[in-house]
Amino acid sequence: MPGSATAGSRTMSSARDTRPSLATVSVVHEVAISRLVLAISLVSGSILRLWQINAMGFNTDEAVYAGQAAAIAGVPGLKDIFPIFRAHPLLIQFLLALIYKIQFSDVAGRILAVAFGLGTIYLTYLAGKTLYGRLPGAMAALFLALMPYEVVVSRQFLLDGPMVFFGTLTLYMLARFGKTQRVAWFFAAAAALGLTFLAKETGIILLASVFVFLALSPVLRLRFWDLVLALVLLAVVVSPMPLTLLLAKHGSTGQNYLTYQLFRRPNHPALFYWQSVPQALGIMVLVVGVVGLIFLWSERSWRETLLLSWILVTVLFFQIWPVKGYQYLLPIAPAVALLAGRLMGKLVDRKRDSQTDRKTINTLAVPSLLSWAVVGVLAFSLGQASWQRIQPETSSLFLAGTGGIPGGREAGLWINKNIPLGAHLMAIGPSMANIIEFYGERTAYGLSVNPNPLHRNPAYDPILNPDGQLRNSSIQYIVWDSFSSLRTPFFTNKLLEYVKKYNGRVVHTESIPVKDSQGNTVSQPVIIIFEVHP
Amino acid sequence: MIRRKIFAFILTTLLAASQISVAKASPAGDVPQAKTPIQHLIVLMQENHTFDNYFGTYPGADGLPSGTKMPVDPANPSAGYVVPWHIGTTTITDLSHTATTFSAEYDNGKMDGFVSAINSFNENGTIAMGYYDSSDIPYYWNLADNYVLFDHFFSSAKDGSDANHYYWVAGTYPQVKKGQSLSTLLDNVPTIFDRLQAAGVSWKFYVENYDPKINYRSPSTQNNRESQVVWVPLLNFNRFLDEKDLSSHIVNLSQYYVDLQQGTLPAVSYIVPSGASEHPPEYPASGEREVKSLLQELMRSSSWNSSAFMLLYDDWGGWYDHVIPPQVDQYGYGARVPGLLVSPYAKKGYIDSTTLDFTSVLKFIETNWSVASLSTRDAKASNFLEAFDFTQTPRQATLLSMTYGVASAPNKAPSILIFSTYGLALLLTILAIGFAALRTRTARVPVKE
Repeated sequence: MPGSATAGSRTMSSARDTRPSLATVSVVHEVAISRLVLAISLVSGSILRLWQINAMGFNTDEAVYAGQAAAIAGVPGLKDIFPIFRAHPLLIQFLLALIYKIQFSDVAGRILAVAFGLGTIYLTYLAGKTLYGRLPGAMAALFLALMPYEVVVSRQFLLDGPMVFFGTLTLYMLARFGKTQRVAWFFAAAAALGLTFLAKETGIILLASVFVFLALSPVLRLRFWDLVLALVLLAVVVSPMPLTLLLAKHGSTGQNYLTYQLFRRPNHPALFYWQSVPQALGIMVLVVGVVGLIFLWSERSWRETLLLSWILVTVLFFQIWPVKGYQYLLPIAPAVALLAGRLMGKLVDRKRDSQTDRKTINTLAVPSLLSWAVVGVLAFSLGQASWQRIQPETSSLFLAGTGGIPGGREAGLWINKNIPLGAHLMAIGPSMANIIEFYGERTAYGLSVNPNPLHRNPAYDPILNPDGQLRNSSIQYIVWDSFSSLRTPFFTNKLLEYVKKYNGRVVHTESIPVKDSQGNTVSQPVIIIFEVHP
Repeated sequence: MIRRKIFAFILTTLLAASQISVAKASPAGDVPQAKTPIQHLIVLMQENHTFDNYFGTYPGADGLPSGTKMPVDPANPSAGYVVPWHIGTTTITDLSHTATTFSAEYDNGKMDGFVSAINSFNENGTIAMGYYDSSDIPYYWNLADNYVLFDHFFSSAKDGSDANHYYWVAGTYPQVKKGQSLSTLLDNVPTIFDRLQAAGVSWKFYVENYDPKINYRSPSTQNNRESQVVWVPLLNFNRFLDEKDLSSHIVNLSQYYVDLQQGTLPAVSYIVPSGASEHPPEYPASGEREVKSLLQELMRSSSWNSSAFMLLYDDWGGWYDHVIPPQVDQYGYGARVPGLLVSPYAKKGYIDSTTLDFTSVLKFIETNWSVASLSTRDAKASNFLEAFDFTQTPRQATLLSMTYGVASAPNKAPSILIFSTYGLALLLTILAIGFAALRTRTARVPVKE
């Protein structure tokens, strides 16, 4: 258990008090370096997030969220296809709808996501500055800016990136509360947590982190009625979700989704996060964070309690929760970056520290220049990993959740231009169906969607009697795609049987250049559209 | 009067005969181009409904007047009345629809015999006052919403299928005299297809489940297939049976789909059903599905951008309709029938109240492809050009739903609710942060941890 702030740690306010006595590094120097590192973070973060951002069209989740935004904004062609109320709250879709009111474009959603990503970098800096000082804050911002996990997700119009933005805002507000012990910051944190929930409901897990943090930090005093007031504020901020569902008579939507999430089968193995997330966070960053916790153990305070609560509660919950998702652990990324920034900030700026700190740091025997070299290596490794992750796909073996589906947008736009309005299409699964709906502005169904409401995502409509619907021309087109066919051979075969049975005629093919086994670039069909004639 | 009409008929027949001789000469590359952007006209003739029966409650159309009631016995008001009623899934029967029935229902223009006439045939006259609505024929109502609905389209003859189909192809109903055979008479009756053939304009007569063996010489008495000879009047013409260059144009409906796929749809296509004709006691649903299939294939083809598809009904089938049909001659008009026009050039959701009949179809063909009229009827008939807007860019095809209203708005977006509530949540958070920042700034007191 970390000791109290008075017992073991040195606060930033006290650091500020001692600043004039520092001999080797001036405050001006520290500010300049911090600003430089922050600027590098924001510039490199922008480059990684914006590089060829629109080279590939939306993936399925992006298409759904952007479709909801279009429905809210009343975009013709989409407002009748996408239902507004699906699984999640609508804060981010609402913000995109504001943009769509002015200009409709798929890239707008991704630019909004990037804006949230850059905002998260800056909030991480502010949180770090509040907790440990400018330089650790700037270091944390740099790590987050280059971290593949954050880069990949914040390039996509997903809810997780903005949710992490508001989660980091909550973290920052709590840091301000911890530092000033002014309850107004706690109220602000409650409101920010409310927005975190409104961005994506899984953000509410951070409420548990807050409670754990408060319970393990007796140094922070909070009156009962202040806590109640904060919870009321949280409830008020969160209220748009249930309120809109109830007033729009969609009350069952949220209940259905909750039921589905509670009882659906696990979609990944138990060790999924351990296999995928450490690499995405950067293993070296994780190691630095843990090393920092160990070697700066004597300095432990409510600050580390806050960051560890943020990380461990989230990891524990999603590890226990049977449904796994690549992005679910993203809220821990800023906290991990802050822990790493904490140590590296101290290492590169160790001469500023007091005798006590110097003693601790000297045990590491790391000269400042070498520390900067370590920071450079960390940044380079993270940046290189991110750079590789954002390059266009050159294989037909696509990984869900890491970007768009090659050819998806182009196929959708072809459908939009060449297929009659009101046409209905059948894809292998809902992933491609969503993309077709967004870009093609035509209703599309996934054959693999289970007709049993207990075993399907309530956001998806199943095809009841697909054979009958093809026979009576209620469905006029069939879409095959390589992405879905790799995931579900059974439904792919079924789909191709329908193509054969109903005289399917190829009307369009989308291909991408891929490398074959000899390393030659060949054109490989990734999406084929069939017109069926019963 | 009658003499004058007989003279007119003879004159028309003679004129037509002169045209037939031209028809037999093969055109030599002088094919008339369509005068409008409509390069393909497709006309489907379904069976036995009135306008009020299908669109009597359609908003904005000349439908069932409020307070409509039909005396059970026009001569005895105390016998009661029958008001229009929604059929839904109620079982119906095939109502009598002969010239005699029409005459009794029409009652010299009083239009008060619809129940009594049917009752007099020992049938249930109440059925005649039934109507369908959007819940029964959603696809047709969707078509009306998106394209053109004719609310003054009359059947050409005060009679059943036979007469009206003749008007549809020849603009006249040949009257057989004593000692004369119909086929001999028809040898001298020109049809629109003779005109088109002579002019080198492509045409086809698509017949659902077409059996070439069934014609006037060998009518089927099995499986209700005798209707093929009635609904395909050409099968009563010797030349359309014997001359290969004419008979080859009468084909199975499956060829329609092939022609659409291969881009070989002719300039003029007539279509008649077999099974899904909507002829009572059949429910309209099967006919709707058939029409949907025909239209969907057209809309998905390369021909769509230059096509017009007409859906018509050959006669009133005994059903009630409140509009007194204009009498242009002793044979017609008969009662109003439903009429729909689907085309990329059709005005959207337009109700065309021009007085039209089946010879208006001939009029359009004659105008569009510059061929001579066939009779006084089609010469004088109104065209339906008003239903088009040729100044508009061709409308993108829309595959309409079998559920009324679905295409227009499943998503009544409560956008204002979302904008206000989520906007307020965002504002509240900004205020809370601003308040905290303000409190900290004004306090300026270092806090001990």
